[in-house]
Amino acid sequence: MTYVTRTPSNTSYANWQHRNNLHNPSSQFQIGKLVSTKSSNKIPNRRNFLISMTSTSVQSPELAPAVKPKNVGLPIMVNGCTGKMGRAVLEAAISVGLDPVPVALGRHGDAGKIVDVGGKQIEVQGPSQRESFLSSVFKEYPNLIVVDYTVPSSVNENAALYSKVGVPFVMGTTGGDRELLYKTVAASNGYAVISPQMGKQVVAFLAAMEIMAKQFPGAFSGYNLKVMESHQASKLDISGTSEAVISCFQKLGVSFELDQVEQIRDPKLQVEKVGVPEEHISGHAFHTYNLTSPDGTVSFKFEHNVCGRSIYAEGTVDAVLFLAKKVASNADKRIYDMIDVLREGNMR
Amino acid sequence: MAFVTPSNSSCATLQIGKSVGNRIRANSRKSLVVMASTSVQSLDLVHVSKNIGIPVMVNGCTGKMGRAVLEAAISAGLEPVPVALGGAEDDGKILDIDGMQIEVQGTSQREDVLSSVFNDYPNLIVVDYTVPAAVNENAALYSKLGVPFVMGTTGGDRELLYKTVADSNVYAVISPQMGKQVVAFLAAMEIMAEQFPGAFSGYNLQVLESHQASKLDLSGTAKSVISCFQKLGVSFELDQVKQIRDPRLQVEMVGVPQEHLNGHAFHMYHLTSPDETVSFEFQHNVCGRSIYAEGTVDAILFLAKKVNSKAEKRIYDMIDVLREGNMR
Repeated sequence: MTYVTRTPSNTSYANWQHRNNLHNPSSQFQIGKLVSTKSSNKIPNRRNFLISMTSTSVQSPELAPAVKPKNVGLPIMVNGCTGKMGRAVLEAAISVGLDPVPVALGRHGDAGKIVDVGGKQIEVQGPSQRESFLSSVFKEYPNLIVVDYTVPSSVNENAALYSKVGVPFVMGTTGGDRELLYKTVAASNGYAVISPQMGKQVVAFLAAMEIMAKQFPGAFSGYNLKVMESHQASKLDISGTSEAVISCFQKLGVSFELDQVEQIRDPKLQVEKVGVPEEHISGHAFHTYNLTSPDGTVSFKFEHNVCGRSIYAEGTVDAVLFLAKKVASNADKRIYDMIDVLREGNMR
Repeated sequence: MAFVTPSNSSCATLQIGKSVGNRIRANSRKSLVVMASTSVQSLDLVHVSKNIGIPVMVNGCTGKMGRAVLEAAISAGLEPVPVALGGAEDDGKILDIDGMQIEVQGTSQREDVLSSVFNDYPNLIVVDYTVPAAVNENAALYSKLGVPFVMGTTGGDRELLYKTVADSNVYAVISPQMGKQVVAFLAAMEIMAEQFPGAFSGYNLQVLESHQASKLDLSGTAKSVISCFQKLGVSFELDQVKQIRDPRLQVEMVGVPQEHLNGHAFHMYHLTSPDETVSFEFQHNVCGRSIYAEGTVDAILFLAKKVNSKAEKRIYDMIDVLREGNMR
């Protein structure tokens, strides 16, 4: 593969970095090593590879090797594929070259249904004899990764099944008995990624806020906070993410109570004031946090806006790729979350 | 010399730490109650009152930053000493601030003056907001006398600056960026980029920044944040930054208050996912110099604490100040 390089040109920035001398655990700037894949929405085998150098590099540039399409052919089974999340995951998976097997597990009422996605057909197997069924599929596809987007009441029995058969899985379904879930998986020593929040970039943002709050308690003492969030009308509660971010700001010294959050649920306001696209009124998660200094001369704003479920599908695919890598390398650690997936870096 | 002890009346609103008349001795007792009306925790009077009496000398106090720092310091209950160092052209000038008077000492005999002030006020902390050309000689002076200092002045030979300070083992906070909260935001971005490389691969980035028209280059902070996004997998070149310098656009499009057109730093970073269903936006907008003055006061409080506790570490930056937590 060819690659384009550019030498660092901005030495005054290099000096600024040196002067600033940030004393944090991450002060080793990883520079000169970027792989940026401009992913199109098309089928994967014709991706463009752009390897560029950051112009702010202070050391001599390191040239990153080209990324090869090694994920093509990874077999996956998406349980709950008759649902919207399951379907979205299948589409995203096919887009990156993963290989759904032609069967999936579902509930009794879905037995025998055929799900048509991206040119593939998947037959749903009901609950009877699911253990021997899954076992035989796993035998045929030893690299199989299962993805679960079913329902809260199935979480524990599904996890128990996967653990018993020994098939690695990504648990996207929320709810159920979480403590039991972890216990079941740990006891069987199976590989799993468990994360109620599959929006990888949102998890990254939240983690950054948590790190900031932990490292710099009280940094924003005296600042005023305003929080606005908008979700589909059926969601009555505040999102777990908002609560987590607000908790960070509280550690940062800001005085704020959850009942001060401005929740927008009126579709008209959502479109006109919040800017939610009409087609996503029934499925979106928009958040804005506004911080202002006591004398009003300084303000910070953080916004994360999600339409639809694409971000969760993409995050799930990342989790699948990550888990496959861990299984293939016989990693010691068995249970992972989205932070682990993030730490691994870009795998596409 | 006589000194006046102010009464308890001056704590009604935001006016804090106001002294009346000339104070010569650093250890004059006050019955002032220092209150921060923006305090988010319960008013911790005991906590704040231990900052009263930290003597400070703000060199470069004839300049705008120096003045702003003095005001913020007085507000926080710190005690400027009645002399400060300045350039030759400022010799003999008297600075009037909040009822206090500070006489500026020019370049001649500065060592003797500083030495004797340090003698009178052994807890003295010096703050430097002078000019790049003076950074190294000033640092050398402070280091020679062993007086702890906060270096707010940018420029000069930074490598030499650190060397001078390290060799003398003097206490110092050195930070070209005194906007504490901006440093916190930047550090969070740096940590995110280092921990989660490529997390935003494929995302599109737009950066918009606005500063007073006289600032031609991109801010160091913008460049740093962009570098983080690049590590996060975003493809972006510095020449893609939209720099707004037209005052009309600044007011109408960016939202800069008219009175701050001559001194502001507004930054907006907007990330969009490849299929455009996800977006993130970060903004940090600063008007005037208050944030830097407040950050400087935090640095002073921090340094005084380190000196007091005879900390082993000697050279600090704004990250260290942040790690210490709220000291007011």
